[in-house]
Amino acid sequence: MTPEEMQAAIEALQGLSNTNLEIFYYWCTAIMILIHAGFLMYEMGASRVKHSLASGTKNILAFAFMIPTFYMFGWLIYLSMWQGFTYDPVWGEFGLPMSAIMGPNMADQATGVFWGAFTLFACTTASILSGAVIERIRMASFVVLAVILGSVVWNLAASWGWHPAGWLVTKFGYHDAVASGVVHTISGFFALGVLINLGPRIGKFNTDGSANVIRGHSLPMTITGLMLIVVGFFGFIGACVLYNYGTNGGWVNIYGGPTTLSAYLFNTLMAVAGGIIGCYACTRDPFWMMSGALCGVISAAAGLDLWYPPLAFAIAFAGGFLGPWAAKQIEKMGIDDAVGAVAVHGVCGVWGLLAVGIFLGGYPGFSSWDGFEVPPINMTGQVVGAAVMIATGFIPGYVLSWIFNKLGILRAGDGVQRDGMDNELEGIAYPEEIRSR
Amino acid sequence: MFNSSPITSWEGAEAIFTYADSPLGMAVCFWIMTAMLIVPLVVSYKAEEKAEIDHQ
Repeated sequence: MTPEEMQAAIEALQGLSNTNLEIFYYWCTAIMILIHAGFLMYEMGASRVKHSLASGTKNILAFAFMIPTFYMFGWLIYLSMWQGFTYDPVWGEFGLPMSAIMGPNMADQATGVFWGAFTLFACTTASILSGAVIERIRMASFVVLAVILGSVVWNLAASWGWHPAGWLVTKFGYHDAVASGVVHTISGFFALGVLINLGPRIGKFNTDGSANVIRGHSLPMTITGLMLIVVGFFGFIGACVLYNYGTNGGWVNIYGGPTTLSAYLFNTLMAVAGGIIGCYACTRDPFWMMSGALCGVISAAAGLDLWYPPLAFAIAFAGGFLGPWAAKQIEKMGIDDAVGAVAVHGVCGVWGLLAVGIFLGGYPGFSSWDGFEVPPINMTGQVVGAAVMIATGFIPGYVLSWIFNKLGILRAGDGVQRDGMDNELEGIAYPEEIRSR
Repeated sequence: MFNSSPITSWEGAEAIFTYADSPLGMAVCFWIMTAMLIVPLVVSYKAEEKAEIDHQ
């Protein structure tokens, strides 16, 4: 082979590699949309008939508003705020909505698919809030809160803890491979902040403080939706692995550290199973059994690239126990979280971060950026990271919803709730006009 | 009609989206999109206020 032929072969392989990258992320993004199909079914099923369309509409609008706002400023925040609250103009340039690479560009096969995958991460983060607040939040205020959560807050956290140069990573050795903290803890605690100001659904609590069970109109729809979310998670988790550089078949984790797709598949499947069985063991409730899959994956997510699979199962099983227990405690505090989002995402997310500190201490840190030394994984880094995630999620959720509440635009009035949120929409959920109790 | 193409040949083309060579064109599109996000929210707020009154 002549040097010219060798060069041509290298270029052809490089072109093939870029094409593979595009294909991989394109389909990961498509699969992630199943998360939203799942959230849609899950929340509509968990709503009473008179609120079911409003719950679904709210979910679809969060998805729709997230995409353009993530284009406008979400991607920019992720790329540029890795130092804290200081803007990095060099990396920010790549995320500006008027950059030459933020649209069809024959010289760039990466930006569009990475932007797309991160946009779907943002949509997922915002949708987590959606379920907690069903049946009483006003639509427009919800959309604004979802945009702030999905296109501002989590991006900031991701830039700090889910980025090769993020300060939590480089200063503390924070490890959160599949976003137990930057997606789930953030959204769970943002939801908690909102729920405190939003208040419970009418009839949720009695005057003595005891709670009533408000059943959704279709548990089968809810359970099927949860299974769709699990399917979508495989796209989410795939998109947390970077392709096309690195030495292990081209796969690296979000920090640029060596990994394989096989590692993620071993542990994701184990976590799904562990979470379901853990929840079933402690509740016998089909709703919580399927939510247990989410508890399991979220609990194992931060170390998904490193667990021994039976340990992933055990951590997920513990998460499956923790989720419903935490939901009960939150309810006892007088907070009405209609789908257990704070427990599933917030509490299990924190457990996932701490589990990394407990079981993965000593793994060497890695950053794909030159000039950055990353400390080994350690408990202090995970505790600091968890505290930062809790605060970064809770504070904006609480403050914004407090302001909206004071303005009288957060909560639907008793009359609207009594007559049904669906009255604001065209159409009815079921032609036979099935009524809830 | 709007002559939005940034290229005259596919040879060596990079950014090929509409108005890629026109900051003004991009800015106009960007702010139209922004308005299209804000206006439906304002309409929704107004509809919700009306619903509050109707269902009292």
